[in-house]
Amino acid sequence: MKQYVILADLDRCIGCKGGCQVACKTEHEIALGPSRSRLYTMGPTGTFPNLQMYFLPLMCQQCENPTCVQVCPTGACYKDEADGVIKIDRETCIGCQSCKRACPYDAIFFNQELRVSDKCDVCSERRAEGEEPACVRNCSGKALMFGDINDPESEVSRAIKKAGADHVYALADFGNKPMGRFILQKGQWISTLPQEFEREQQKGGSHE
Amino acid sequence: METQKLQQYREALTIPGLEAALTGPGAFVSCEPHTVTEDDSIKVVKTCCRACIANCGVLAYVKNGRVIRLEGNPEDPMSKGRMCAKGLAGIQALYHPNRNKYPLRRVGARGGNKWKRISWDEALNEIAKKLMETREKYGAETVFCSTGGGGNPEIWSIARFCNIFGTPNWFEPGCAQCYLPRVLSYTMMYGGVDPSIADSNALELYFPEDTPIQCLVLWGTSPAYSCPASGGNAVVELRAKGVKTISVDPRFTPDAAKADVWLPIRPGTDVALLLSWIRYILAHQLYDSEIVRKWTNLPYLVDLETKKLVRAKTGGDNEPDTFMVWDQKTNSMQPMEYPWNDQLDPALEGCFTVDGKEYKPAYQLLWERVEPYTLEKAASICWLDAAKIEEAIKLFTEYTPSGLALGVATDQTPNSVQAAMAAGIIDLLMGNVERPGSLLQRFRTSGVLKMPNYPVPVATKMLPKGQLKKRLGTNEYKGLHIWYAGHPSSIRDAVLTGEPYQPRVWIDRSGNKLGVVAESAKWVEAIEKLDFIVHVYMYPTSFSAYADILLPAEEWLETDMIVETCNKLFARQAVTHLWETMDETLFWSRLAKKCAELGHEGCQKSFDAEFMGEDLAYWDSMEEFFSHFTKVVGMDWKEFAQKAPFEYLPKDEWRSYYVYKNVDPKTGKPQGFNTPSKKLELYLESMIDLSRTGQPFAAEELPPASKDYDPLPYYLEPFESPVGEDELHKEYPLVMTNGRVPFYHHSTLRNVAALRELYPVPEIWINPKTAETYGIVHGDWVSVESLRGKITAKACVTEGIHPGVVFMERFWNPETLDTETHGWKEMNVNVLTKSTAPFNDVVGTYTLRGFQVKISKTDAPPKGVWTKPEDFKSWLPIGVGATSDQSKEGKR
Repeated sequence: MKQYVILADLDRCIGCKGGCQVACKTEHEIALGPSRSRLYTMGPTGTFPNLQMYFLPLMCQQCENPTCVQVCPTGACYKDEADGVIKIDRETCIGCQSCKRACPYDAIFFNQELRVSDKCDVCSERRAEGEEPACVRNCSGKALMFGDINDPESEVSRAIKKAGADHVYALADFGNKPMGRFILQKGQWISTLPQEFEREQQKGGSHE
Repeated sequence: METQKLQQYREALTIPGLEAALTGPGAFVSCEPHTVTEDDSIKVVKTCCRACIANCGVLAYVKNGRVIRLEGNPEDPMSKGRMCAKGLAGIQALYHPNRNKYPLRRVGARGGNKWKRISWDEALNEIAKKLMETREKYGAETVFCSTGGGGNPEIWSIARFCNIFGTPNWFEPGCAQCYLPRVLSYTMMYGGVDPSIADSNALELYFPEDTPIQCLVLWGTSPAYSCPASGGNAVVELRAKGVKTISVDPRFTPDAAKADVWLPIRPGTDVALLLSWIRYILAHQLYDSEIVRKWTNLPYLVDLETKKLVRAKTGGDNEPDTFMVWDQKTNSMQPMEYPWNDQLDPALEGCFTVDGKEYKPAYQLLWERVEPYTLEKAASICWLDAAKIEEAIKLFTEYTPSGLALGVATDQTPNSVQAAMAAGIIDLLMGNVERPGSLLQRFRTSGVLKMPNYPVPVATKMLPKGQLKKRLGTNEYKGLHIWYAGHPSSIRDAVLTGEPYQPRVWIDRSGNKLGVVAESAKWVEAIEKLDFIVHVYMYPTSFSAYADILLPAEEWLETDMIVETCNKLFARQAVTHLWETMDETLFWSRLAKKCAELGHEGCQKSFDAEFMGEDLAYWDSMEEFFSHFTKVVGMDWKEFAQKAPFEYLPKDEWRSYYVYKNVDPKTGKPQGFNTPSKKLELYLESMIDLSRTGQPFAAEELPPASKDYDPLPYYLEPFESPVGEDELHKEYPLVMTNGRVPFYHHSTLRNVAALRELYPVPEIWINPKTAETYGIVHGDWVSVESLRGKITAKACVTEGIHPGVVFMERFWNPETLDTETHGWKEMNVNVLTKSTAPFNDVVGTYTLRGFQVKISKTDAPPKGVWTKPEDFKSWLPIGVGATSDQSKEGKR
């Protein structure tokens, strides 16, 4: 089965929020506030001046065992067999937000205007027209790639192979098997979930 | 669906939600954009961005006359198909409900923010009449113009108008505080382009597959923040191929985080660190000996009394002067014929006495200047670790070719020019000039424009004789003449005091003067003394509130420009045109026309093509203006814009390395560098001439400055300093610095919902130790105070800054425009900055970074300031990034 994912090379991400936030938002006409993708600042950790920091763009991880799909009462939230991408059918979504609560990565939001859940579908409409997802197309650091992770010849598979297993990471797995991948060679991966990391940082928690 | 959207859009224009910002009788009435057509096909227009100064190539998707999507143009060799947040927000900026749409005249009291719509003809007549009356009564010099603050399409159009009208006074809050110190220093030292990444230089970096550069120093710059799509990406590519990077920055920026060495320098002390690098390079003889001996002026002897180089004879046509060296073979002073004489063995060190007079090689004087700046001394001044400084210097000197990209940071302290001189010396000593891998290059240009991307001829000959001396502040700060500019604080003080004369009329185009000049409150005092103020911009700013006439300028998606990017030529071209906005470059032409009609002789002549010659007659349209240039390639502007981009040279021919080695057919000798001696002038003798006469930049000889400018860089401790004897730092213990975030350029875009959502209010970065001292936690509101004022910011508690330093981005609040603060008083760091002496001796730079503040916790944000994403809803254009919810609102 095909499994389209977004791969983020964190050594290349410069934290500018252009492609992954502004382009995504304007492409999908998302209201002010929520977003299909978020850029987390993972750091600085350590003590001045011995610090580490990287940026992590986070969108739906297109899980193999998606809890969002499992909890959906109407089947509106489904994993498309054609590309492995998790999609939400706006006609059948009843807006109960079970999927939003089930997602361990805060990657689903509630679209107030349409009264449905909303999330990254790796720009299905753009892909149908032969275009790259908006975030990939506009990423200033060229840190984002997309493709079929199950195809060893795809751009993402080749990038993962080139980086080597020791430098390729996935977000914490709760049995949902996230399929998104992150390359980090110049830095130490922080395994705390980004949204939890951010909360701790804001509370002044330390990450020595 | 599309028809419906279009309908909504049209209705929305009649209900722009502008009341929140600007109110007034009859100011905003129904109007349709000019280019709406019923055509469902999508047209892709190749244009270029101007959300900052990087000019990135853009593909604008247009449907039914409306811009619906922006993407980077992959043909652009610098941005390579990428656009950043600022550029991508261009649609929201273009269709912003609060655009300045029509010329407006103030009704009621100044600052009352009540306006009446008038026609362009009325507006121009009124302004021209006022200008002519003022000129007649008080002299043309009492009119001054200004630009700056971002989104600036062409600064020379202001300088040109001033020359033609006869006033020597225009200024920018930038200039001495932004870029000019670097341009001046590198121009004088080697005669080529400076290495500023944010100003689209350092072009060597954009072909990572070819360049042999091995180490890049980002000094006071973070391209990831200033120009992510072009410079930011270039640095990413270089790091990916193993190029070492060093970041000198008080802030732990993305580029600092990814650097091999980060030097978090104390703001304002850069020259001390630069001098320590020079000392280390000289002491360990790490410099390029061949370059230093043959191609710099360091072996030339300096007369210790006059500080001038000793000449054997003056040069002839295309020949530089012949300078004296101390020949170690004969132990005597000998003339060194250009380019050099292998028979001589010039001394670099020592002191030599001839006929009772003392002489030293310039190298010796440079060494004496830097000698006190050991690593330990620099570490102590700059709050750094000596071992880390050494690690950085070693990377820079071992991984060659290397390059030092100097950013804007050092331009923003009174030590500005000396920082650029010292940074230049470092690269030039290492031979990092004009070889593959160097940032300092004189690559070829298309020749279509004399100065790429700044086409408007300044027409210096039009300024009447005697007027130049009246340029305010610049008999002292003569370096400003390189850009024909006046000194901002001197202009303001003249308004306040009437000395040396009373300026009366101000025409400004800027993103918000009060957001970008230092010590904004003092400028408001000056504003109150003026007879007449005109503001030209895309949307109202704090400054607009004090204007008498407010004029609508075009957004970048409405404008034209020839854009030269590396070896290609692009066209920025109007993708649409809305309301009655006008290209700023055209505005000045229209104003000159009105003055001509009222009998102004200079303005009349400015329309005479024969008289104007290369300075060009004023133009009636942008098409006419650009066609002057595009005819070089056999096209009119329309054809050029339609066919652009063009590659004018293959990249290998465009990159002209070792220009100085090319043989000059007239002399049979190498053409050398573009300096008076044709050598790299590390000992900048021409600073002395500049201070005494204004040469080579002033069009006529000026009275001498109060003292000679120093030919060598020197360190100046910040006037407000956290160390030393005075008491100030006991009350104001923290050093403030500023810097960019990737969402805004200068004072622009604070009214764009998509960007304010990401960065709603200015953060103040505080180290956790410091925050604890003041009982401040992350997210708290913080009161920030200097000797000059008090503002509010939001605490970002982070290890990424020294405990003794705080950082804030510049800001203003368009949401409070229609309150008594006019949006400039709440969160604007320039309320705190210092606009008074000490100034930089060469260019008059005041203090924007490296001054003292105190902080305390405060309970709430300032009244009326928007902080939550939904607050910005009324700034959304209907149908773009808007939701059905907003569409409904638009229909009401």
